[in-house]
Amino acid sequence: MTRLKTLLTSAALFAALGVTGAMAEVTVLGWPGGPEEAGLRKAADAYNTTASDADKVKLIFFNRDGFFDKLAADLAAGSTDFDVNLLATYALGRYTPFMDPITLPDASKATFPEKVLATMQYEGKQYGIPTDLSLHFMYYRTDLIEKLLSDADWKAKYGEISEKYLGKKLEPKDPDAWTWDDWMATALFFTKSINSDSPTRYGTVLQMKNLLFNMMVWHSAARAQGGDWMNDKGEITVDSPAFRTALDIYKKLYDDGTSPKDSTTYEFAEANAAFGAGQAATMLQWNAAFGDLDNKEKTPAVAGKIGTVAPPAGPEGRFTHIHGLGLGINKASKNKDGAVKFLNWLGTPDAMEIYAKAGGSPALSDAVVAKVSAERPDLVKLGQYAGSYGFVMHGGTAAKALQVYELQAKEFTAYWSGGKSLDDALAATKSGMADLLKP
Amino acid sequence: MPRTSRFEGRLLIAPLTAFLIALLGFPLVLDIIYSVSRVGFENIRAPELIGFSNYAKAVADPEFWAAAWFSLRFGLIVAVIQVVAGLGLAVFLAPLFAKRPWLIAFLMLPMMVAPALVGLMYRLILHEFVGAVPYYLLEWYGDFPAFLGRDWAFTTLVTIETLQWTPFALLILHSSYAAVSPDIREAASLDGARGRRLFLNIDLPLMMPAIGITFFLRFIDSFRVFDNLYTLVGPGAGGSTTSMSIYIYQAFFKVGDIGLAVAASMLLLAASFVVLWVINGLTARKAPL
Repeated sequence: MTRLKTLLTSAALFAALGVTGAMAEVTVLGWPGGPEEAGLRKAADAYNTTASDADKVKLIFFNRDGFFDKLAADLAAGSTDFDVNLLATYALGRYTPFMDPITLPDASKATFPEKVLATMQYEGKQYGIPTDLSLHFMYYRTDLIEKLLSDADWKAKYGEISEKYLGKKLEPKDPDAWTWDDWMATALFFTKSINSDSPTRYGTVLQMKNLLFNMMVWHSAARAQGGDWMNDKGEITVDSPAFRTALDIYKKLYDDGTSPKDSTTYEFAEANAAFGAGQAATMLQWNAAFGDLDNKEKTPAVAGKIGTVAPPAGPEGRFTHIHGLGLGINKASKNKDGAVKFLNWLGTPDAMEIYAKAGGSPALSDAVVAKVSAERPDLVKLGQYAGSYGFVMHGGTAAKALQVYELQAKEFTAYWSGGKSLDDALAATKSGMADLLKP
Repeated sequence: MPRTSRFEGRLLIAPLTAFLIALLGFPLVLDIIYSVSRVGFENIRAPELIGFSNYAKAVADPEFWAAAWFSLRFGLIVAVIQVVAGLGLAVFLAPLFAKRPWLIAFLMLPMMVAPALVGLMYRLILHEFVGAVPYYLLEWYGDFPAFLGRDWAFTTLVTIETLQWTPFALLILHSSYAAVSPDIREAASLDGARGRRLFLNIDLPLMMPAIGITFFLRFIDSFRVFDNLYTLVGPGAGGSTTSMSIYIYQAFFKVGDIGLAVAASMLLLAASFVVLWVINGLTARKAPL
């Protein structure tokens, strides 16, 4: 009898395990290791509490490093290991051959502004629900800027330094009114080797590593000067005066020592380390950095003393590169119905509220963001900036867009580090882009 | 060898041969096909045969040669330094190792760390705001070089590679040095050979095969450097630290030109056979009877 009980118990356990396995019918491949994962986990948990067994979702994650390379290989190989997978604006053209377009439900159109939905569109078709939006803030030290704006000695020195290094005498301004010249003057003023009274070692921290994401940060400067990848006729225009001016802004700041010497190997983490150590007065950085930098436990040197504004204004206005992360449907998926149900739910205001409160950074319409603004004040600015200043370069979602970013990263870092002349770097970029973007 | 035993010999190695063909043959055939095809992620399962264009493209690409030159320079410098340092340490520390053999295991510790972790570790150590080295240089001298910048990256990489892999050279060369018969040394001593002369005329010639093998292994390993280099500086400003492995990785994953990447890797494979042949010839000629 005991043996029979044991057998029956075992059978029941196996059956239960089987049921658990069968519950996860929609497999979602998410962006690992950051706030996006935390948000997706909470949202999936909430969805699974009401979804039928056949529609429940199971989450899987690769490593963050090399994620998009592995995703490209899996999609190209026709993997059926996931039904829903991550998408990024700058890789849309690369992945859409392996993905199904989706039809947005009305709820999604109420949740996200049209400009944000467009970050998941390619050739007129919607390929994903935009779960997160990335753009850039100009970070600055509020304590230092307040003093600069009120201290007569500092103001006088600021004028002297700007005249000496930029050829024009400038007055300190509120960061929200900065032009690129104002930012340069501020960076020069807060550099110890230029101004021995500076409380910080560097006036700014530039991300100049040969890395495609660093190009996205720098593009805000190029666009403000009127730069674009192509004109309306499809001609490559990277050798325009706008690109030259924007490249020279970084080159001058680096050569004058306003940014650490190793900036040519800096990306997100290194720049945050410099700013978080209290050794840089300003930084043009992704919005995602704010949470950690303003956390008193993680970065006590600067937490509570950080201001954020949109990138400075140029002759053509004020701009910030935007791109979205989102979730779409794998063409090889074997459970597209379940995948569609999950994505339709994910695009609702309720789902995005859960997602945002758990750490994600969705750019939401005013009505939806009002529900989370108390917990996530940064999301208010995120939506505002995306709507007012967001841009995507002409060709920025093309099939070879990633390669264009790679090419620019190689050529422009060569110029910044002194390995190539500006003319050579721009000529090589132009001819390379012509090859990559030809129809 | 009698005919029957030759047959038996072939029969005995047949399972291993079949295993190797299955394991290496299929990917090799696939690589050869890809190398003569137009293939990217979009048509990875249906490559289009185009002949030797990928090889021509690789050979005509200045970046391919820049990467090859970087790898060759890096591999040669690192291998020479490691062999010389390993040899020096093996001879200098031989009496100590004889008394305390456990020291060898202790000295092998750097090899136990994954290269990618070594890269990450040095990235932190050399970082201006969190690293110990810039901190102390700033404290003591008021300045420090940009260790990972364009001008210093190569020297930094060579130093890191040497610190991690010299123990490997030491291990092989210590074994070789210990294997030289004391009788031969004693006989040479009786003939008047001492110190440096004993080492140059007796020990060194006898160790040449081991030195050649050590050099070859370290050269090949350093030539295809990837992990620590990638985590430290990546391809470098303007591609200044692009090794062959990084070139192939970028062509494959970043550019999506799989045909070019595979053709470049096939050229690399061919080059490694040439190096193997040269080293083999050199060490065979120097080997004692």
